[in-house]
Amino acid sequence: MNALARHRRLTAIWSSRPGWKGWFSTVNHSDVGLMFLATAFFYFLVGGILAMLIRAQLATPHSAFAGPEIYSQFFTMHGTIMMFLFAIPVIEGLAIYLLPKMLGTRDLAYPRLTAYGYWCYFFGGGMLIISLLFGIAPDGGWFMYPPLTGKIHSPGINTDFWLIGITFVEISAICAAVEFTVSVLKYRAPGMSLDRMPIFAWYILVTALMILCGFPPLILGSILLELERAFGMPFFQVGLGGDSLLWQHLFWLFGHPEVYIIFLPAAGAISTILPVMASTTLLGYRWVVAAAVALAILSFGLWVHHMFTTGIPHMGLAFFSAASTLVAIPTAVQVFAWIGTLWKGSPRLRLPMLHILGFFFTFVIGGLTGVMVAVVPFDWQVHDTAFVTAHLHYVLFGGFVFPILAAVYYWLPLVTGRKRYFRLGEVAFALIFLGFQITFLPMHWVGLMGQRRRISTYGAEDGWTAINLISSVGGFVLAFGLAMVLLEVMLNVIVRHRSERNPWLAGTLEWATLMPAPAYNFASLPHVDSRDPLWDDPDLPVRLARGEGYLGDPVGDRRETIVVDVATGAPEQHVIYPANTFLPIVMAATTGGFFLSVLVKLYWVAPVAVLGVAVLACIWVWRLGSREDPGDQSIGRGIQVPNITAVDRPPGWWGSAFLLVANAIFFGSLLFGYAFLWTVAPDWPPPAFVAPSIFVLTAAPVGAVIAIVACALAVRNNRAGKQPVVGLLLALGGTLGVAAAFGVFLIHAPSPTAHAYGATLWVFGVYVVLHALLAALMLVFLLCRHRAGYISAVRRAELAIAPIWIGYLGVVTLLVTVAAYLPGLVT
Amino acid sequence: MTDLLRILISPVVWLAAFSAVYGLHGVLCEISIDGTGYSRAWARPMLVGAFALALLVQMGLLALLYSTSFQARPGFARTVSRTSGWVGLVATIWTLFPTLAVTACG
Repeated sequence: MNALARHRRLTAIWSSRPGWKGWFSTVNHSDVGLMFLATAFFYFLVGGILAMLIRAQLATPHSAFAGPEIYSQFFTMHGTIMMFLFAIPVIEGLAIYLLPKMLGTRDLAYPRLTAYGYWCYFFGGGMLIISLLFGIAPDGGWFMYPPLTGKIHSPGINTDFWLIGITFVEISAICAAVEFTVSVLKYRAPGMSLDRMPIFAWYILVTALMILCGFPPLILGSILLELERAFGMPFFQVGLGGDSLLWQHLFWLFGHPEVYIIFLPAAGAISTILPVMASTTLLGYRWVVAAAVALAILSFGLWVHHMFTTGIPHMGLAFFSAASTLVAIPTAVQVFAWIGTLWKGSPRLRLPMLHILGFFFTFVIGGLTGVMVAVVPFDWQVHDTAFVTAHLHYVLFGGFVFPILAAVYYWLPLVTGRKRYFRLGEVAFALIFLGFQITFLPMHWVGLMGQRRRISTYGAEDGWTAINLISSVGGFVLAFGLAMVLLEVMLNVIVRHRSERNPWLAGTLEWATLMPAPAYNFASLPHVDSRDPLWDDPDLPVRLARGEGYLGDPVGDRRETIVVDVATGAPEQHVIYPANTFLPIVMAATTGGFFLSVLVKLYWVAPVAVLGVAVLACIWVWRLGSREDPGDQSIGRGIQVPNITAVDRPPGWWGSAFLLVANAIFFGSLLFGYAFLWTVAPDWPPPAFVAPSIFVLTAAPVGAVIAIVACALAVRNNRAGKQPVVGLLLALGGTLGVAAAFGVFLIHAPSPTAHAYGATLWVFGVYVVLHALLAALMLVFLLCRHRAGYISAVRRAELAIAPIWIGYLGVVTLLVTVAAYLPGLVT
Repeated sequence: MTDLLRILISPVVWLAAFSAVYGLHGVLCEISIDGTGYSRAWARPMLVGAFALALLVQMGLLALLYSTSFQARPGFARTVSRTSGWVGLVATIWTLFPTLAVTACG
């Protein structure tokens, strides 16, 4: 097969369907990545228009441009859109598009999950935008503090849109995080060991792990607040044993790492682009990786620095003040590594480099004001003022938007296959840079002069008029600059001015693809021997196109790739991906049905939607696998590896493991909330404890132990060529026993509306019942698969996944039993 | 995965220790305010004890990362894991030092 025939064959296999169906059924990472990016930049436009409206309102004193109610929607939606619908999805889109290309493979680990995540984002974001159009958008600020957002003070549907819409969108982030983690660890080109990974992949891996740990507390908080609003469960009502500070803890447990979740991928883009612009390698690769890891983990110890004015004891303040100053060190390590890289190289002042310089100037100022607000007495003075608004924009615009604009210009030729023609970008950069500084630098001063955040108007006598007018003018200059970027990107897509291959002379693998990148990425997969394969072997693209790498000969309609060992990158498994399907969009719409039913209080629809999701999930998994034992598969270069259906640790196992990490953080946050209320909230201990039940105390642990042991036996028997059915049935009985026990527990638990104690126990009980039913569904599914002939001693991969879920069920059963009954027994 | 574990272990243990000490501080201060349990005088020794324990654990981890039995292979993983080991130790000293110096429940 020659290169052209191979290209045509692979294009037919990997492309989306022609016409409109292609948009809704594609699972190809390049398509979905671009859909993410296009949607995210649309939301950026909406968020930007809201910013203009805010600046129009504040340009003059006593402005009558918008009333306080509408103005509250402006700033709430501006923050919400920029954080949840723009920043995170841009990262997701960029990583979805780039990662497989940079890692030298053909797609991410779970292509259908990628598409499902996108549609959840699309529908969830759409919910919020619709609320904006109808004037019922969230209006409680982007961090939604109760009691303001409780039912008493915010009786309308506005807050519900935020809680439900954002939770829906966060499904997308969790999907992407699982996807990225498994993809970076397991889906790489053979030979790409951890130390040969492109630096961008390291940053995305770190960020994905942060999302898995950072988002669950907010998801929990949103669920608890919605339960309070919808059903009167008083988690945040002080009079009934709740505490509004619990929301602040849960929100900022997410919210502070969120800043780094946004910054780190942008830093990854800089660490990739800057060395290319300087025609050299990144200085201190190992130090930069260590700094990214340190920054990620340290960022989880800072959440209370957003709560310095809530009356926390001095020592608590000192802990978080110290931690807040500490993060400056890994950040500085990265900044100095970038400066050093420029020093040792020969920098070219191309357009991406201009944006990187804009980043340096702006982000360093934001970092320094960050150290200022980390100092408690200073924070007390400027808390909730425009100074903090200026600081956060210097960090987020400087640390995210400038790098992303650099990334847009850097990778645009890869996406479009064309080079810039009209040269609007340089003017756009000047407008953006100057406009930004004019808008936000004076905001520090007006903040120090006492202007509060979120105020809808002010008096001329306050003395803030000139500064606000300057800020507003700057804001519109900034908007013109960003509009020019948008215009240039559109022109780049429209005007046919072909770019040469690898126009920046980069060394990473994404530039080894055709331009624009084809649906299959690489005609054959490379073997990687260094961090910059294209610098070491400039002929690599040609040899890959000739099929001289791995999997160079397409087999039937198979979408094939290779799974590798985490550390060494040695080939381990052979993968056949599922093809294009409408399942992701249908499942996302059904998931949306659940959220929508809760939003409009059609509660009877919610269980129907959940059932629909369960059925679709079964169809989703049923389509995988085979009824025949696969032999070892040849992947080229004389190497044979087993198919993923015939291994003990298939990609699904890894995905489940990382999903359970997020799940465990969710559960841990719930336990934290319980302990927090118990310790801090008034009216604790509760008026009455749950009465010990012999049935619950017996059936739950016994059921869990039976399920764990029987499932393990089923796996062992199957591997030995014996029947797994008895073990699976016993495990099913055990999980149903746990579900029954906690069903009884829910019946006997104290009223969930009378006190936060009862409400928390109710959530604990429902959590265990849901996990027991999920485990039962998995076991029933495995029994059906076994009966249908999909499972054998060789095809054992499917059986490997259920035990970790059942093990998790056992752990939470034990912990919830102890948390529910121990306080009553001790007291 | 073992290399990743080596890289992550010290900072993750710092995070666990930091959160635990903060939680302990909350509990001790709450008990002190209620006056139902330990007196306020117990708060600082317990917090300092927790700080010392966290330090010992971090030093133990760092020793492990330098030991022949647990250290990573020479090169990337060894450098990064030892660096993050030092990060864990320094972060513990810097962020939990207030247990020695600041009013416990003021």
